[in-house]
Amino acid sequence: MRTASAAPLDVAAEDYRPYMIDGIGQALAGARELRERAAAGDLKGAKKAWISARSGWERSEVFTAGFVPELDAQIDAWPNADSGFHAIEAELFGAGLTDVDGDAKALVGHLDSLHDRLRDIPLTPQGILDGTVRLAYEVGESKADGGESRISGTSLDDMRNNVAGIDFAYHTIFAPALRTADARLAGAVDARIEQLRAIVAAPDLQHVDVSALRRASEELVITLQGASDKLGLRRSTLEAASQ
Amino acid sequence: MILRRSFIAALVPGLLVAGFYGRVMAFPVDGDQTTLPAKTELNEDALDKPREVFRSDIAGGKSYLVNLGNLAFSSPGILGGVARQAGLSCGTCHVNGAGNAKFFVPKMSTRPGNFDTTGPLFNPKADNFVLDPVRIPSLRGARYLAPYGQDGRMASLRDFVRNVVVNEFAGPEPAPVILDAIVAYIQDIDFLNNPSLGPGGRLIGKISESERRGEALFMKPFPHDPNLSCAGCHVPSGAFVDHQQHDVGSGGLFKTPTLRNADFNAPYFHDGRFDSYDQVVAHFDRVFDLGLSAQDRQDLVAYLTAVGDGTQPYEREGAGASMKEINDFTTVLATAIPAGDKDIVALAVDTIGNELRELTEDYPDRKNTSVSGGEQQRVLARTALKELVLTLRRIDMAVADGRTTDAAADYRNYRYLMAAAVPALLASAEPWSLFNPAVHDSHYAALRQVMQSRHMSH
Repeated sequence: MRTASAAPLDVAAEDYRPYMIDGIGQALAGARELRERAAAGDLKGAKKAWISARSGWERSEVFTAGFVPELDAQIDAWPNADSGFHAIEAELFGAGLTDVDGDAKALVGHLDSLHDRLRDIPLTPQGILDGTVRLAYEVGESKADGGESRISGTSLDDMRNNVAGIDFAYHTIFAPALRTADARLAGAVDARIEQLRAIVAAPDLQHVDVSALRRASEELVITLQGASDKLGLRRSTLEAASQ
Repeated sequence: MILRRSFIAALVPGLLVAGFYGRVMAFPVDGDQTTLPAKTELNEDALDKPREVFRSDIAGGKSYLVNLGNLAFSSPGILGGVARQAGLSCGTCHVNGAGNAKFFVPKMSTRPGNFDTTGPLFNPKADNFVLDPVRIPSLRGARYLAPYGQDGRMASLRDFVRNVVVNEFAGPEPAPVILDAIVAYIQDIDFLNNPSLGPGGRLIGKISESERRGEALFMKPFPHDPNLSCAGCHVPSGAFVDHQQHDVGSGGLFKTPTLRNADFNAPYFHDGRFDSYDQVVAHFDRVFDLGLSAQDRQDLVAYLTAVGDGTQPYEREGAGASMKEINDFTTVLATAIPAGDKDIVALAVDTIGNELRELTEDYPDRKNTSVSGGEQQRVLARTALKELVLTLRRIDMAVADGRTTDAAADYRNYRYLMAAAVPALLASAEPWSLFNPAVHDSHYAALRQVMQSRHMSH
């Protein structure tokens, strides 16, 4: 078995950039739309836009967890929804109110600022692997209490988007090199991602097999950590270092 | 457990009566995405937990079987369907072997502390179509308290445990060793010591006059039936039980409950209909026409309170208590790994990993802006706990592949980390953890605020 060199990974990491720009772009467009819809008193439209924005954010979490984890406190604060997605979610989906302009404006501002940086932000394979590993672990957390987006009832969508993000990052950047370095290990990663995808394809959150989800999540993390050596990368830590 | 999950409150005014629940803060399940019905109360966020005393700790340490039983008792994996999905285990209702007086499931409970074991939620096949909840009993001293069930229908604790797992909670047929282990664990749970109880169950030491008078009344034959007395059924020399069923005017034949540690076993009677000894004594006075004066009632309550006491009934939840239990569970692996016992290893890894994941959430991440300070300490604590979860999973994967040597190496590493490094990191992060009451309250206040929005428009 061979160890992949980092150079092709650097090139492959660039292939992730359009996906990332698209995901954050969707989040930004959704946030702008929800601000407009809310300002017009269109609750239904604002909710729809929130879901679209959320979808873009969640599928970009590989990137955010690996590169800009500090943004979580501004954009995705939980449980105290003083700002960000969950503050708006509580108003729109919980209280049924459209009085969210302050929070929506701030969300648009944060996402806009992030979006502006995306074309130039250095994308390292290590950072993307770190984000992939951290998100793979997080997907296995219990959602018995309804999960993070419990007020809108979209926690399962969050999980599906997370898995889609993991799948894209892995297959775009790491899979070709790993197949060359260790085909068996690459097959193991493929199998675990596929397991996760099948588990979150459940019709609703209550039917997600939580123990199978946890197992698949942890096995994927372990397999990816095992792959890091083969890819010439460091073993990923499970939390970003504090700033 | 997990389900020390973050269950959240929708505090509909008047729904929760603070004095009754003991704490203002309470966080029932809420939302329409939860596995359990909204308003289910599990009380898993409580900072004070019942203290558990083991017979074998006095005798030199718990056996493999007792630790395995404790592990299985704490595992949602041995239950089925909804319970497993919701992360419930035997230990959710019987917290550290004591009852869970706050456990409440809408349409399955008529009050906190009782539960319909033949209702539709957990096993529709066992549904008897009658709302007939029974009190969740304490298991302290269970080895002295046969027969089992509120109606005493089962002589064997093993049969009773199997019935709970398979019929009441729709679990798969447990392996014989698991049943044996759960029984061994339950039989190892002791009563809390009560220094006021002497040989033969008589009050000793510094006893008040009221307690003395209450003890005499307790022994005294009933005025209209000299064959009966309180002590005739609650035999002081026999853990205050007679192992019989009686009709005491509560709607059928029910077994005599123990009075030992009963101060902490409310609500009382088979269905948990009474909150206090006052109500219990008043019931017997009425049903058996005892003709008790107000002073007599006070004296009996004083006596029952003295008998039902126990040393240090609760202890503060913290990383230390969690780690001690996790370490007990982990000892199971020392036997199961060399034996290549895949099922036991998988059970242990799932259960301990679940506990560790729950413990991780006691150290809020950076998204939780209700907590400030100690970010680096929290990151290190969370990282360490997550690494332990993964180490356990590697053990599971290795044993499943027949690589027991690899599993043993990972187990040694796990034990090494748990011996000093991880406890030190958790201690360092404790001031910013949910074990700190101020952080705990801030965290749950934030959750409550979010969830209140659900009810503003309704």
